[in-house]
Amino acid sequence: MTQRFLSHADLAALVAAHKRVIAPVRAKDDARQTDYLPIQALADAALGAALPRRSLKEYFLPPTEVLLSYRQTKEGVEIKEVPTQAQPQVILFASPCDAAALEVVDKVMDWQYRDELWFGRREATTIVGLLCSSMDSSCFCSAIGLGPDSPRGSDVLLTQVEGGYLAQVITPKGEALLAHCAATEASAAAVAQAETARKQAREKVENNAPAIPNEFGAWLEENFDHPAWKTMALRCHGCGACASVCPTCHCFDIVDEHDSSEEGVRRRNWDSCQTAKFTLQASGYNPRQSQSERFRQRIQHKFSIYPKRFGEILCTGCGRCCRVCAGGMNLPEILGGLIALAKKDQGESGQ
Amino acid sequence: MNIYQPHLMRIVEITDETVDTRTLKLEFKAPEMAREFQFSAGQFGEYSAFGEGESTFCIASSPTRKGYIECSFKSTGKVTQALRRLGVGDTVGFRGPYGNHFPIEEMKGHSVVFIAGGIGLAPVRCAIWNVLDLRDQFKDVTIVYGARTVGDLVYKRELEEWSRRADLRLCLAVDPGGETPDWKGEVARIPSAVEKAVTTAEDTFAILCGPPIMIKFTLPVLAKLGFAAERIYTTLENRMKCGLGKCGRCNIGATYVCKDGPVFTAAEMGRMPQEF
Amino acid sequence: MKELQELAAKLLADGAVQVVLGYEEGPRGVRPAFITDPAQAGRLVFDARCVQNLATYLNPRRKHIVQLGKPAVVVKGCDARAIAGLVRERQIARASVVVIAMRCGGVLQRAEENAALSSETTAARCAGCDAREPKLYDYILGELPPDPPVNASRAEKIALLEKMTPAQRKSFWDEELSRCIRCHACREACPMCFCVQCTAERALPQWIDPSPTLHANRAWQMMRVLHQAGRCVDCLECERACPEDIPLGLFARYIAGAVETRFGYKACDDPAVPAPLGVFSTEDGEEFIR
Repeated sequence: MTQRFLSHADLAALVAAHKRVIAPVRAKDDARQTDYLPIQALADAALGAALPRRSLKEYFLPPTEVLLSYRQTKEGVEIKEVPTQAQPQVILFASPCDAAALEVVDKVMDWQYRDELWFGRREATTIVGLLCSSMDSSCFCSAIGLGPDSPRGSDVLLTQVEGGYLAQVITPKGEALLAHCAATEASAAAVAQAETARKQAREKVENNAPAIPNEFGAWLEENFDHPAWKTMALRCHGCGACASVCPTCHCFDIVDEHDSSEEGVRRRNWDSCQTAKFTLQASGYNPRQSQSERFRQRIQHKFSIYPKRFGEILCTGCGRCCRVCAGGMNLPEILGGLIALAKKDQGESGQ
Repeated sequence: MNIYQPHLMRIVEITDETVDTRTLKLEFKAPEMAREFQFSAGQFGEYSAFGEGESTFCIASSPTRKGYIECSFKSTGKVTQALRRLGVGDTVGFRGPYGNHFPIEEMKGHSVVFIAGGIGLAPVRCAIWNVLDLRDQFKDVTIVYGARTVGDLVYKRELEEWSRRADLRLCLAVDPGGETPDWKGEVARIPSAVEKAVTTAEDTFAILCGPPIMIKFTLPVLAKLGFAAERIYTTLENRMKCGLGKCGRCNIGATYVCKDGPVFTAAEMGRMPQEF
Repeated sequence: MKELQELAAKLLADGAVQVVLGYEEGPRGVRPAFITDPAQAGRLVFDARCVQNLATYLNPRRKHIVQLGKPAVVVKGCDARAIAGLVRERQIARASVVVIAMRCGGVLQRAEENAALSSETTAARCAGCDAREPKLYDYILGELPPDPPVNASRAEKIALLEKMTPAQRKSFWDEELSRCIRCHACREACPMCFCVQCTAERALPQWIDPSPTLHANRAWQMMRVLHQAGRCVDCLECERACPEDIPLGLFARYIAGAVETRFGYKACDDPAVPAPLGVFSTEDGEEFIR
């Protein structure tokens, strides 16, 4: 991994050189919050502020997108394809949890059938991560095996140092991004400063939640009918806000909508396993009757099903689900409870 | 062409099976698709009525019959009602084939019992014709099919044809109260009809499809007859959207019905969380 | 607080209720608690951080809560309006719930904040509240605290909206509603959204397109706010649930203002008072018929 030094001016020039740059900016409606939005100049970005309210997901899997449009004629139906190539974009100051999430979701999007709409955007995007300094008590990236300094999913990872940034180039895409940039070799002092910053950042989240043990997924699968599920989600409204803000939740719906009797579109829209409608069958039968079952699905999918299928936890510990929840559901707390149950079982079986 | 984009198919024939169940015979519009399309018995597809959406059904025709596919559906929702409004010559969308299939190859050289209830005959029919078109490669063939009433029996012309064939045993049943004065079949629910019609599990595979309640009560009957859970196959019909393992809707525990299924053995079903 | 904990423990121990819905300290401030064991009643708290409307958990849609048994619920006067609404609209029987009402001195904007009440931190909906002394209760606890500081931010926003031309108002709402992702979290968190099948989910006919496009978002939010006219209790659970931070409460308040002007009705905690759009009266004004 090569490390370089970028001054603020270098980075400003990099932003200016790209047509579309997305970065955290201060939310219009709440000065304490930030959102990932297109910026015109580096000065628009809100550096070191709170973790953006919503993840980067929408830039790869928009809340709604057209899969195809069609026209019905006397001769039949004409389908108009949508382009799968996307406009190049740079995401600047991505939070490591958001960058990592994209790589995690890549797995399902490439499972036998390749989702070209997702990968079209993935390929057109260069991600510049930033050592996280906006963690709060709900962050638990280290419990997932990531961390505020995780390079995963980033093409370049920045760490703020005196006078600018230390840039770790992680991928060839990152290399290409910095190729036209007046970056210089990082000084030993800058490298040491960055290392201290990373260590401090890691310490800030490490105690928020226990690490997820390797056998946790298997325990969840075996304990699908554990009585704990029944009372775990009492305060959950089943509103699915957690899924909307989650960087890894990727479930969707496909619907047709017509503008006239001749023309219309097929769309893909975000959906969530937390709503009753998600599994409701045409006959009126619903295999997941109550919120307890729907919440169990969320946990099982993230911590057992996905790891079993793809070798990855479907969560990066960003904590947004806790921050958004009107009912006060708290994932690290719930995981802590489940892990304690799993450990208890293990202790008992070990005796 | 992205993975969500359907192929265009033309409706070439419409058969009303019951008051609310209809079969569409479809041909690919693109000649190369018509030539090259292949599938296996038990696989499914996403059928679309443009402007209304997609719906998941199995392919009800046999892979041995080339050049077309058939699907049968009950009008229950927005898409199925829209498909019902279409006529011969109209266009529908089709994505597929998706999922796994019945073990036709493994079944060769053995006997097969087909058991279906109501519209559950659609996926079973696909396997039945597959076996019948290669009849000499299988031992005994038994079909047990039932519905609530005589009017609810689907594929009536084929039932007629099967009843005349000497190389298979057909047992038809309707629920008590569902018979007509001229009904010659059994008046019984499927589990008891199976008990009567099937005498041995020896060297035999069972393929079974129908409403959950029928499956629930037929499995113990098959077990009693001596069928190993690994030799009983059924298909699940969870709510699906993409059919491709992406949209997250059809999970039963760690199982993706669209990718690991829709065909499962009774043994596999027993190991799944009971959330279907 | 001790009084509340003792009452909850007693109700549970006596078997008068099987669960007490109250507030507890959570990892991110105060949150809903479901106490089933009298020994756990000490977890209950009540203070200015108790912003949530726990009456929303009485909504019969919530099957996993119904199965816990008869509930007692801790409410502020404003929340009790939702209980009255559910009783008025025959969703629950008044006798099916034990209401523990708390005299309220106003709440904060956010449950996770631990600030003193000020004209900035107090919830804007507390301004002019007439329900601080609850009237619907089985038990009433606490002393009536003094009036909280007035946060005028919402009144100012509504005044601003009223001053706008229709075109300006439309563009204001279009900007807000363009963010809506049609997740329907607002509906799921709402105590008064109890329809078994929401119009937004009816596909035959499809009244509202399901995708989050601006035209469908407008249709959805307008439908919801109109269906809430004279029913909304201003608890802002919708706004708290919204992952896109759309000021849904502002929308609802605007309509509530219209209901008040037209029908002289304000959401109240008396189930016997009929909802303005829930009754037919020959006295109803008909000036809209021309």
